Amino acid sequence: MIKSTKINRNVQAALSDKQLQKNLRNTLATSLQMRDVSVAEVPNWDELSQYARDVKLHTLSRLDYYLEMFERKVVAQGGKVIWAETGQDAVDFVVELAQERKIKKLVKSKSMLSEEIHLNATLEQMQIESIETDLGEYIVQLAGETPSHLLAPALHKSKEEIADLFAKELGMEYSGDVDEITATARQVLRKHFLDAPLGVTGVNFGVAETGSVVVVENEGNARLSVSVPKIHIALMGIEKVIPRASDLAVFLKLLIRSATGQKITSYVNCLNGPRRPEELAGPDEFYLVLVDNGRSKILADEFLRQTLACIRCGACQNVCPVYQRIGGHAYESTYQGPIGAILTPQLTSHKAAPEHAFTSSLCGACQEICPVGIEIPHILLKLREQAQNEKNNRASTISVERLGIVLWTRVMCNPRLYVGATRWVRRLWRVFEKNRLLGLVLIPLSRWSKHRAVPHPAPHSFRELYRLSEDS
Amino acid sequence: MNSRSILLNRIRLACAGADVHELPSQIPDFPCYSDPVAQFCQELEAAGGVFLDGRRSGKLAENLATVIRASDSTEIYWESQELFHRYGIPFSPSKTCHGVGDLLFYSHHPDQEVKFPLLLESRPYGKSELAASSLSVSPARCGIAETGTIVHEIVPGTGRLFSLLPPAQLILLSERDLIMNSTELFEHMLPEQRGSSLTLITGPSRTADVEKTLIIGVHGPKKMFVILLP
Repeated sequence: MIKSTKINRNVQAALSDKQLQKNLRNTLATSLQMRDVSVAEVPNWDELSQYARDVKLHTLSRLDYYLEMFERKVVAQGGKVIWAETGQDAVDFVVELAQERKIKKLVKSKSMLSEEIHLNATLEQMQIESIETDLGEYIVQLAGETPSHLLAPALHKSKEEIADLFAKELGMEYSGDVDEITATARQVLRKHFLDAPLGVTGVNFGVAETGSVVVVENEGNARLSVSVPKIHIALMGIEKVIPRASDLAVFLKLLIRSATGQKITSYVNCLNGPRRPEELAGPDEFYLVLVDNGRSKILADEFLRQTLACIRCGACQNVCPVYQRIGGHAYESTYQGPIGAILTPQLTSHKAAPEHAFTSSLCGACQEICPVGIEIPHILLKLREQAQNEKNNRASTISVERLGIVLWTRVMCNPRLYVGATRWVRRLWRVFEKNRLLGLVLIPLSRWSKHRAVPHPAPHSFRELYRLSEDS
Repeated sequence: MNSRSILLNRIRLACAGADVHELPSQIPDFPCYSDPVAQFCQELEAAGGVFLDGRRSGKLAENLATVIRASDSTEIYWESQELFHRYGIPFSPSKTCHGVGDLLFYSHHPDQEVKFPLLLESRPYGKSELAASSLSVSPARCGIAETGTIVHEIVPGTGRLFSLLPPAQLILLSERDLIMNSTELFEHMLPEQRGSSLTLITGPSRTADVEKTLIIGVHGPKKMFVILLP
């Protein structure tokens, strides 16, 4: 059994947080419903899904080839490509570029990769102001928190909590009106857009065939981040490359309908490098940072590799019974919910994220809803096995759990021993129960019994009952 | 070894020995419509955009007047002079030009005089000027019936800020350029694109980041109009 650590404690806090429970209930149900309606409109959804899965698995099996093709195209269009082995390498590049150009402020549109590599924390240390411009991210940044969902980073907050935050941090008059909250954000952020010399974005898809960087969004903040500043840096995980532009038709349909239930988002930006000399506005410089940060390690296992097919739609989070109860923050990792449970230990290690693979009831809803059919429950099982093996190899003494299983195997193999042992357990159980000592005896199992009623032993075993019925 | 070769070697090592998963060649079917204009209109309006049919002669001026009223604009910023020729828009230079040389009157409609400055290639709009303006007009590379989307492409003589900073945007779309779904766009137009940016635009900017409440008008334009032309 896994040791009680961070996630477990967080679960307790999350479950007793009434406001959080209400916020989660309201928003996740809406998201799911919108997704279901939107998916039901597409008669060949499964076919699209299979196509996308095949494209992703193909690309991953020849990732070096497609990355090189992508790089050639980006460079041919006047962009520069930076290869970052680790998150730190990627962060260093952004910081060094900013320092070299004496940039004190940058505008940033939503990027989970930037969260993964803790870009903002380093920028802050270097006294470079990084302004999150997606409304949800902006709220989370103002609150000094981290996102709690792939798509709706401020999903854990109610509008009253946000109104309080805006009143406190921006000096805005308190208003629970979402229109006014949004208008304030537009006004404040517009100023930053107009004078920030650097824009940083994530990437949804990188098209190898055309060298296009595709950024999907609704608010227009990504469009502004790649249009007004003189420099655009796109941060992209190496697994985001797809072979052909024509594949985009399928991927956009799957991503957007799964994510928000829209048919398409307000904007899909296909960016081909910096401003051409004859164009009037746009960034003069374009940098694409290709980030590994543990991804190539995941590639090595042919089964686990599909983890990298994820297109970050967030549907598995919406549908997960665990995520629905505990929200994103309880996971204490960048990626949360089912995808976070499989991605986090693989990007880091079982030692660094010992609990993630266990934060699931293996109900299978995540695999069913996944638009690229990632077999999350099966991956979880494999990761649990890995984690256990690693632990067993580390442990110098025989664990109690192992000893218990060895003894139990002995007992199960011998019918007479089994009958005798269970009879004694039943008898002792009753004695302990009568003397209220059961809690004490069950201490080794207390993590199990704490949240569950301890069952009363049956007065007779099945064998005894059978014999009784035969006699009568 | 530099980071590039280290990273590529890592990937090659990780993929070595394993089979190459086959790349599917046939894209699944995408929907087609018997009345693509009706489909386009329905989806655009569902996304919060305004559809105006300017296909009949004389309708364009009326539509322009509607857009100007609905966006509280006094001026229209045109993306390029080429638009007038491309869509056969008649115009005549204003008598009250104030010597700037870029103010024109649209005088096709009998009751409505529409004033707009015209982009001159020698004078690209500045970002603060655009941010303070009220309405931009740009052409669509194509329209997508399935989702009510227009595709805006950056070509020489235009820039990324133009249709982005003003609070309202108007797109002119020729019926000839209406396609059924996005497959044609991604199979042909994107690979052939020479400019630095191609954007799919569907309605005004929006967010649902606060309690999933839909709000129209965040960072991008708050209003979006499409006039369909022959």
